[in-house]
Amino acid sequence: MTSIYIEMTFYEEKISHIKNSCYSNNKQIETIIATRHFIDNNFEKDLKLDFLSNIKFTSKYHLQRLFKRYYGLTPRQYLINKRIEKSKENLINGMTVTETCFAVGFESLGSFSKLFKTKTGKSPSQFQKEQVSRSK
Amino acid sequence: MKVTLISIPVRDQEKALQFYTKKLGFLVKKDAPLEGGNRWLTLVSPEWQDGPELLLEPAPNHFEPCKVFQDSLKEAGIPWTQFDVENVDKEYDRLTKLNVDFSIPPTEMGTVKFAVFDDTCGNNIQIVETL
Repeated sequence: MTSIYIEMTFYEEKISHIKNSCYSNNKQIETIIATRHFIDNNFEKDLKLDFLSNIKFTSKYHLQRLFKRYYGLTPRQYLINKRIEKSKENLINGMTVTETCFAVGFESLGSFSKLFKTKTGKSPSQFQKEQVSRSK
Repeated sequence: MKVTLISIPVRDQEKALQFYTKKLGFLVKKDAPLEGGNRWLTLVSPEWQDGPELLLEPAPNHFEPCKVFQDSLKEAGIPWTQFDVENVDKEYDRLTKLNVDFSIPPTEMGTVKFAVFDDTCGNNIQIVETL
């Protein structure tokens, strides 16, 4: 039998090394990917980590650690970013600030406005005004 | 301070402009003449036109160390930079039909899928999808 040897580039060697040392636990990775998809599809609901970990039959803290390990941020941070991103879309599409706040899953207008400002540098109403004036 | 610019060294700005707009699909944001036929040439993503700009920089032609660095990365297969895409497989199909040459086909690694292609201007570019 002849074996074909294809020379790898330096980059391919490194990637393959990282893959083996950091990303070899496929079952774990599948669980974490499924968790992200679950958050993506349910971001507007009252998502608690307990609930997520129950679905995946794993402990809350373990799930949190794994999510951070594979995505670089905690499920909570990921969820907040997702909600802020969605709220921007809603505001651009003309939804009111209050409607947007509840549509993306925040429980109070105060915490929504504060988070929105921290993440984007503007309040939701300022953001919406700027978008409207830009599109004119 | 704000992050607004990503620079990519290119040997031929006009050729790079054609590749990055006609094949990759970016849009021209700024195109201003500089001395010696060089241009301040920036591009943006069609779906994020107020997002960061891509500067197609003729640095390798004017600064030898830049050329050496660019050549070394190219030869080692290391991407100069990477772009996010919705679906790596779809982009791979679309770009291979446009005769774009891939050094790494769509490959999964952990929570991402990526591929690497040759931008014909001296760089490897990586596209990434978050799984």
